[in-house]
Amino acid sequence: MVQHRLPMIPSAGEVSWVASINGVKKQLNIENNAILLDVLRDKAGSLGTKRGCDMGTCGCCSVLINGEPRLSCLTLAAEAEGYEITTVEGLADGHHLHPIQEMFAECGGSQCGFCTPGFLVVSSALLEENPSPSDEEIKTAIEGNLCRCTGYQQIVDSVRAASAILTSGESVEDSTSPKSDPHPGFSGE
Amino acid sequence: MSKDENEDEMVGYRQQPGKLPFAKPGSGGKDRFSRPTDQEMIPESQGGELAQPWGSHRHDNLVSGQVIGKATALVDGRWKVTGQAQYGDDIRLPGELIGRIIRSPHHYARVLSVDFSKALEVPGVVAIATGADAENKFGVLPVTKDEHAMAVEKVRHVGDLVACVAAEDEATAREAERLIEVEYEILDSIHDMRDGLQDSDLPIHDRGKYHIGEANVQKRVFQEFGDVDGIEENAIASHKENWLFAGVNHAATEPHAVVANWDPAGRLTLYTPQQVPHYVHRALADVLEIPMHQINVHRTFVGGGFGGKSDPFPHEMCSAILARKSGRPVRITFDREEVYWINRGRHPSRIEMNLHADSQGRICGIETDALIDGGGFASFGHVTTYYNGVLHTAPYEIGAFHYTGARVWTNKPASGAMRGHGAVNSRCAVETGLDDLAEKLSVDPIDLRLANLLPPHSATITGFRVTSIGMRECLERVKKESGWDEKFRKMPLGKGIGIGCGFFISGSGLPIHWDPNKFPHATVHLKIDMDGGVTVHTGAAEIGQGSDTVVAQSVAEVLGLPLDLIRIRSKESDTSPVDLGSYSSRVTFMNANAAISAAMQIRDELLDATAEITGAKREKLVIGDRRIFAKNDPAVGVSYLEALHKAQEDRGALVASGAYRTPPMGRTHKGAAAGLAPAYSFSAYVAEVSVDVETGQTKVEKVWAAHDCGKALNPLAVKGQIIGSCHMGMGQVLSEEMKYGRSGHLMNPDLLDYKIPSVHEMPEVVPIIVESNDPEGPFGAKEAGEGPLLPILPAVCNAVYDAVGVRTAELPITPERLLRIIERKCKAEGVDDPIKLPSPRLEYSELQAVLSKRAEEHAKRDLERRLNDNRQPYHNGALFGLDPTTPPDEVDQKWAVNVIPSEEYLSDPRLAGSAWKHTERRHRGDS
Repeated sequence: MVQHRLPMIPSAGEVSWVASINGVKKQLNIENNAILLDVLRDKAGSLGTKRGCDMGTCGCCSVLINGEPRLSCLTLAAEAEGYEITTVEGLADGHHLHPIQEMFAECGGSQCGFCTPGFLVVSSALLEENPSPSDEEIKTAIEGNLCRCTGYQQIVDSVRAASAILTSGESVEDSTSPKSDPHPGFSGE
Repeated sequence: MSKDENEDEMVGYRQQPGKLPFAKPGSGGKDRFSRPTDQEMIPESQGGELAQPWGSHRHDNLVSGQVIGKATALVDGRWKVTGQAQYGDDIRLPGELIGRIIRSPHHYARVLSVDFSKALEVPGVVAIATGADAENKFGVLPVTKDEHAMAVEKVRHVGDLVACVAAEDEATAREAERLIEVEYEILDSIHDMRDGLQDSDLPIHDRGKYHIGEANVQKRVFQEFGDVDGIEENAIASHKENWLFAGVNHAATEPHAVVANWDPAGRLTLYTPQQVPHYVHRALADVLEIPMHQINVHRTFVGGGFGGKSDPFPHEMCSAILARKSGRPVRITFDREEVYWINRGRHPSRIEMNLHADSQGRICGIETDALIDGGGFASFGHVTTYYNGVLHTAPYEIGAFHYTGARVWTNKPASGAMRGHGAVNSRCAVETGLDDLAEKLSVDPIDLRLANLLPPHSATITGFRVTSIGMRECLERVKKESGWDEKFRKMPLGKGIGIGCGFFISGSGLPIHWDPNKFPHATVHLKIDMDGGVTVHTGAAEIGQGSDTVVAQSVAEVLGLPLDLIRIRSKESDTSPVDLGSYSSRVTFMNANAAISAAMQIRDELLDATAEITGAKREKLVIGDRRIFAKNDPAVGVSYLEALHKAQEDRGALVASGAYRTPPMGRTHKGAAAGLAPAYSFSAYVAEVSVDVETGQTKVEKVWAAHDCGKALNPLAVKGQIIGSCHMGMGQVLSEEMKYGRSGHLMNPDLLDYKIPSVHEMPEVVPIIVESNDPEGPFGAKEAGEGPLLPILPAVCNAVYDAVGVRTAELPITPERLLRIIERKCKAEGVDDPIKLPSPRLEYSELQAVLSKRAEEHAKRDLERRLNDNRQPYHNGALFGLDPTTPPDEVDQKWAVNVIPSEEYLSDPRLAGSAWKHTERRHRGDS
């Protein structure tokens, strides 16, 4: 049987594209019809941004464009040209995790972890705008993200816990700090 | 060791330098001082403060108060929250090619030819493979290997694999996909599972001499236990319902992906997000015709499994074949739509459920007939067919069990194992049936259950050995916490409350690849070198449920170490001992037991070393936080590192291997092994719903979810599993459905139309952990991953009845369906507006007092049985007056076990039972 499909163009024309990704200005050669998600994953090395559905239903690919949560699978790279893009890799300050990251790990907000980058990005934007959101506000912020493991309850708990840390002004420990005393018994006492 | 004068060091114990310079780098643990033992975590039996109402446990003496029972963050959590966790599609090897799969557009067709010459000419196309490249069959169960990497003769459903291509980039691969010309001869497809029972001109598979008739019946089961003939005579109330359950997909957020790479030495490494890497390992060896030692299966992070990543998959074979042909790594990633083509979700099912109660309010009979739609391939279906029956023979004591089950092939994507494998649909039918039975007997449905529970340490009617049972406590807790007595049948129209229970295996008793060599189910290796860190090698697949964490916890607990001293290596088959994988809720039970047994060997060596250093008696030594000391004089002791370095003298790193294999269990009739498990979990949920009677919209408001997991090794993870199970079960009961159109085409292969609950649909879930202290579980633990899904479906269905007085027998309960039923009810009641419908109410009958009294007596019986180690055997049937100490079929002729249908039954079989009308080819003598 003959299959009728529109022929695909193997390669669109390439253009030069500039954006700031996690604070680093990048210039990349991309296809002019490239989707932002593909650029982030395949060209910019942000493999933390996940592909779940390619049609804006799951929220796994959420990134911040100039601080606003956006679905990178529904965004043409050209639309984000010149903007500041923040992915999950850009949330931490070096090895000091963002409180939202720390709390997702501590409070069970992340099980299999595949949807986690999307939730983190979206809820960090929420906390940026509203450091002490109500449960309803948290739910509204994450309504576009699907999670199949947690049933969302521990995700809401995590966001609430992160909000408590942010409003109290505590900072999160550097994950590379020594986990043990390198010289036990030789502390100079 | 003399007492130190420093106050701080009196509290715990100061790390000692040990033998210089070995001790210098890293003492182990964040704190410089050992923490005092947390007495609240030490069991009473060891002189601690942890209450043990369920008695002592064989692992009590291993408890050091470190991590077991404490809410523990997943040990790989940091990778996930920073985006560093590498899932299938995140494996990017240098020089990789992108693979695409060419799929069938037809339901059922013969593949006449595949012409890929034009595609090969496209610049950038490197390799193309078809079914001819790998003709060996594979499948997860050795008895039903029926899959090929790509179609060899026929395609069996839309989306079935025909060919695959590897190219420099995705656009080129897609272009090649378009240019591959496949000639099909379209065959008559079947889509209704009932048609699968009939003889066909061209069955979807040919099982040779084992083929059942000329039909599409893949597996059939007939089982009779107990006094089946007496049901009619004994019953005073009966329930009958014909259920229709839609197929459900796992909808894990990560679409399947795989990367294959052959190294220059000719070994294959397959990177894949798999729940059961070991079976992939076996299947690859079969398909590629290379020995297993030439393959390294690397499990990546798994972005959700739920059973959907537990088969060896054809696309995994394709990537290996393409990589072999091209000499370069090949990465294949699914679109969301392809996830639905590979499916392996919950079987669409037609279940007829008959329940009978006698004058004493005993369940004198369960008759189940389950026809399940397997789609195009066998997958786990052989087991699913049994599970639809045998997994509802508990937790209740029953007088008779009659089960007929059949699984048929249809031209749909294959069904397989999904969370709560095979038990979910029939459990829903049983539990809603019990609700109806209680209504007919005019008794409280919770009391009806409480008066019919099997006691701890008993055998079910099918001969399953059940050890710990926390069912009664689950029921009592949800009853109390939900305020059941004030709400049940007392709420206004549109508000309802319902109960549902569950029972699930904690690890399948027989490994899928049954092996006469008595291989263990799980093996764990430990290695501790002079730095003091413990490397744990395990093949258990971490799929987000926290299996790495639980094995780390077990080792940490036994050795008295903080978690950050434990590192888990569980990814590669090259370095990890064989573990059968993350299915059948087996990992915590089996793998943690193996880990404990390995850690005990190291512990023994540390104790020996300490005894040698201190001169203290070995039996008097206990392990605390990074310290081993005399129990009666904590000042006498050494640090963990000192003991370790002593133990390492003359031999270096300590290594140990621990394994777990299930004990011999069960009976000998055909199919007796299906459903056998070393332990079973129990759960009871109460759901409160509101139903808009004018639109049929159901909203679950709150769920009280009690689950008996034996012992919550990590309460944070257990609660996560309970709430997550509610989410998945709620999806199935209210919105999730694989919809097939009139032509048999799947209409919603995406997450927009396949509706999983979002945060707004989720009710508040109150997780209630019941700890029944399983005698064989690690520290008393059982499963918590699948069992908690079962009760939510019937709890919601029963709550809908309590709210509007109608029962549905078709899932999901979409507003359209419910509204239709409400309209029918209005017509029958002669009510013009649904808001005028009467709310269901209940006046108790005299039987209620009988049940309450029996429940009270049984509560005493159960308590006595769980604490008394010299208990008598208890076989199902004692409630009906039989001798509890012998299997009933041995004492009463009427209770004979029967696995072959009689002529009489075949003259008027139920739907799935009619599969037995066919004769296997080998018995027909005409083939």
